[in-house]
Amino acid sequence: MTTTSVDHSPPAAPPADPGPRRPGPGVGAGAGALNLLNGGFMLAWALITTLPLLWAIVSSFKTNTEFLSDPWGLPATLRFDNFVRAWSTANIGQYFVNSVIVVLISVPLTMLLGAMAAYVLARYDFPGNRAVYFGFVGGMIFPVFLALVPLFFVVRNLQNVPLFGEFLGLNSYLSLALVYAAFSLPFTVFFLTAFFRTQPTSIAEAAIMDGCSHFGLFFRVMLPMAKPGLISIGLFNVLGHWNQYILPVVLMNDPEKKVLAQGLASLAISQGYRGDWTALFAGLVIALLPVLIVYILFQKQVQAGLTAGVLK
Amino acid sequence: MTKISSEWSRRNFLRGALATGTLVLPGSSVLIGCATSGGGQEQTEGEATEDNPLGVPTDATLEVYIFNGGFGDAYATDVHQPMYKEKYPNAKIDHNAEVDIAGALQSRFVAGNPPDFVNDSGDGQIPLGQLVSDKQLYDLTDMYDAPSWDDPSVKVRDTLVPGAVESGVFGDAPYVMHMALTVYGLWYNKTLFDENGWTAPTTWDEMTALCGEIKKAGIAPWTYQGVHARYMNWPLLTMAAKLGGPEILTAIDNLEPGAWGHEAVRESANALASLKKNGYILQGTEGMDHIQAQGAWSEGKAAFLPCGSWLESEQADVTPENFEIAFMPEPLLSQDSAMPAETLRAQAGEPYIVPAQAKNPRGGLEYMRVMLSQEGARGFTEKVSSLTVVKGAADGIELPPGLTSAQQGLQAAGDDVLTWMYPTWYKDMENPGINSHTGELMAGRISVDEWVAGCEAEAKKVREDDSITKYTR
Amino acid sequence: MSVTDVTPRSDARSTPRRPRPGPALQHGKAGFVLAFLAVPVAVYGLFVLSPYVQAIYISLTDWSGLTASQTFIGFDNYVRLFDDDQFWVALKNNVILMLVVPVVTLALGLFFASMINVGRRGRSGIEGVRGSKVYRIVYFFPLVLSMAVIGVLFKYVFAPTEAGGIFNGLLGLVGLDGLAQPWLGDPRFAFWCVVVVMIWAFVGFYVVLFSAAMQSIPKDIYEAALLDGSSRFTTFRHVTLPLVWDTVQVGWVYMAIQAMDGFALVHIMLGISGGPSRAGDVLGVALYRSAFNSYRFGYASAIGVVLLVLTLIISVLFMRAARRERVEL
Repeated sequence: MTTTSVDHSPPAAPPADPGPRRPGPGVGAGAGALNLLNGGFMLAWALITTLPLLWAIVSSFKTNTEFLSDPWGLPATLRFDNFVRAWSTANIGQYFVNSVIVVLISVPLTMLLGAMAAYVLARYDFPGNRAVYFGFVGGMIFPVFLALVPLFFVVRNLQNVPLFGEFLGLNSYLSLALVYAAFSLPFTVFFLTAFFRTQPTSIAEAAIMDGCSHFGLFFRVMLPMAKPGLISIGLFNVLGHWNQYILPVVLMNDPEKKVLAQGLASLAISQGYRGDWTALFAGLVIALLPVLIVYILFQKQVQAGLTAGVLK
Repeated sequence: MTKISSEWSRRNFLRGALATGTLVLPGSSVLIGCATSGGGQEQTEGEATEDNPLGVPTDATLEVYIFNGGFGDAYATDVHQPMYKEKYPNAKIDHNAEVDIAGALQSRFVAGNPPDFVNDSGDGQIPLGQLVSDKQLYDLTDMYDAPSWDDPSVKVRDTLVPGAVESGVFGDAPYVMHMALTVYGLWYNKTLFDENGWTAPTTWDEMTALCGEIKKAGIAPWTYQGVHARYMNWPLLTMAAKLGGPEILTAIDNLEPGAWGHEAVRESANALASLKKNGYILQGTEGMDHIQAQGAWSEGKAAFLPCGSWLESEQADVTPENFEIAFMPEPLLSQDSAMPAETLRAQAGEPYIVPAQAKNPRGGLEYMRVMLSQEGARGFTEKVSSLTVVKGAADGIELPPGLTSAQQGLQAAGDDVLTWMYPTWYKDMENPGINSHTGELMAGRISVDEWVAGCEAEAKKVREDDSITKYTR
Repeated sequence: MSVTDVTPRSDARSTPRRPRPGPALQHGKAGFVLAFLAVPVAVYGLFVLSPYVQAIYISLTDWSGLTASQTFIGFDNYVRLFDDDQFWVALKNNVILMLVVPVVTLALGLFFASMINVGRRGRSGIEGVRGSKVYRIVYFFPLVLSMAVIGVLFKYVFAPTEAGGIFNGLLGLVGLDGLAQPWLGDPRFAFWCVVVVMIWAFVGFYVVLFSAAMQSIPKDIYEAALLDGSSRFTTFRHVTLPLVWDTVQVGWVYMAIQAMDGFALVHIMLGISGGPSRAGDVLGVALYRSAFNSYRFGYASAIGVVLLVLTLIISVLFMRAARRERVEL
């Protein structure tokens, strides 16, 4: 469809519906209609994205009968007790805390291990450097499913480790965090290696000249300089770990140790949730609202963090 | 920590090192097994006397694992363990409540040092069939043949309802003790029925007529657990057996070719499939799951629902005030049926096992005998609100209305109790296998002939798979 | 300005080489390198590499996980797998996820991204449609949610009206009552519900991804196209698409790999058996079921190996396609 020549109607442009002609400079009438149509598409998708979420939020304040009989209506009164039931009776509170604990361990661990490996791989020449690098990066294309069965047994057998065994094994926060970290390493290393390479060598040399050790150089000079990269990949890992499903399903069977996404799903699909839908939806809201709020507050960083993966 | 330092040894170190090294590789687990002992731990046994028929070592420790799920573990700590301790004051009970049985115990089975008594249940259940075929379970025959706790002249097996011992038989011997008794049938809201002057139908013709009336009243006559359509398989097989006799269930369990094509089974399938054709099933049922369908039933959207007697406690939180849950056995398909109208399906469940390599297996057996005593069973019913396999143990106990009506149904049935085993023996055959065919049948997407063919194919698949251990009864 | 100059690309191929360390950095290097690599490599080796290697061995045994020993049975598990109709159902669904989901998601992503960035021809020239900023935020919502949470949500969206679902009701609102179905209870539709949800979940990601790429295309190019009289579609075809093509390709591989994992959605929306008539099964769920429900660890590992092969095939195909593309350009 043309925009400059308003006189001949564009051939083969089905959505061009000649509306009221208000030709502006370089703007055709067909264009106006098309703007409208496109705007409509955009709005429709926005609705498709938000409606289910809004519905979940509204439903979480209803009674079970309201939920069943009037899916579109607003609740007669706001049932905050749904949230109480979800938090305590349905154990969502415990799941929430579990998720927080695991992520608090796993993300710093991932960042530290990832940065250490990436830094060495990016900036030090040594035999086997390439092999180690590709060993890490190759992990990105391996499906996690292939590892599930042996992983289950590796983690289970960790309970036999002298001294540390009682903190490890199945149903252990530390084990799960270690597994998260391990499976996040390929991408983290890949991303941070690229990042460390871009940093100027001169500063590193100067620091060493000043008597900085290799360790000091890393912790006092290089890490602070890599902050933007660390933030991006950190956000990526926080969301990835917070939202993990398959790993905890396999490694955390104890109902007291389930993480939020997993606990919510098991409420929804399996053992006797007792048809208490609105408490389930309250749980759903507890799971989705905090992340949505964090996202809205930091949307630029989060978007950058999540897409950085593919752009890098 | 302290435990580790006292048990510290080269062997532990080796085991730990092997475990931490990447190692679950079959070869390494062999090594771990070897490192612990020559194979299994040493078993202790006491002398069998009249007072101690199972030969329990009276001063040995008994290590007990109870699944800490819906039933909790109070029935063990408050009822059974005091009874055991009273009889053997020198024995020590090492009680463990565990939510993830496989997570806690699987490695101990592999290593050959399992506990003495396990309630193998819940999400983390170690599959019983697998334990049997890996020779990990202790034969319970001695326990069932021992004199009962309350009356030495009666064997334990004779104090139980029909089918209770058989439910734990795998091949040649009983390996699993099932304590809870689940009664299966149809459930309805008695208040609603009384208000409308409806009575529970005893024949299928009455059922069809009543469905018409219920529909006129603006309620869907039936619903079932939707995508978990095997719930509908229960009335299907029960009605078939009531019509054609319990032998047809034996044939199905024994994977006999043509068992699913028996005339009575077809007739029963036809009857239930007609519910859909007549519009007697709650709209959308086939797209629901059990939570959704049972919830809709509790909300009064449908009148009849097939389920087991756990339904009442499962729905407790969402059952409205004036909703009186009531039980009825499935109606008879024909006047000249092989079994009376009161016949129902009752299945023993909640599995308890004694590991073959336990240190104190006789103590484990004795603990089972304690559970199966009148006092032990009453305590179980009181603590967990479930019937037990022990005859008469629930008499006179105050139970919630649904369970009361189920117990009355059970009493009325007498010895006409049906049970079938194939879902226990061949888990995958029932679900997803039969489950999906029955789902198609109930949704009206396939004919009865196609359903029969599908079920026969599932049976054939198990029959011809050499890697599956077969059982018969 | 030449086209290559504006390509917003900084993927692996163009990352800078490792800087040559000067002599100062050589001092005391070995100990440091070892110290820094030891823990990450150990953790990675223990939890990631060793399971992958072991899985391949376990797939050649009949291990149930309950015994200390197991029999080496060669390729029996694979033979059994290829004889299993259910495996083919799951494999077919995985292939659908790999092909259909990326095509639709990337197409929608490209469309919305071009709308947001260059979708409107207003008085001041090329700009995004009204509300672009809000759309960019809103479209991304599903990306921050767990797939498990999304699965639970849509299990109820697609539920029958009688169980509180809203999708059939929505169809009614727009006059399409006739299309109402027990979506998750019908083998013809159940899996496609999962496909739709996956697309719903990922479109926003590509909107943001492609937006970033498009924003680095100078507006002058569009102004020039405008003056030339090219239509929006022509502009998109000849200006936008070539400039973001690299990103599209990378995005495709990423999406195909993401889509391999339908586990959370299928497990939650359709159940462990893969839904009605098991028609919505995927390999991930089949693996999980065989391993942790049926304790057939050898068989499950064989499914894992098939998944690996599938992933490798996609990666190789796309890498080759991408290379040919560059040669042609």
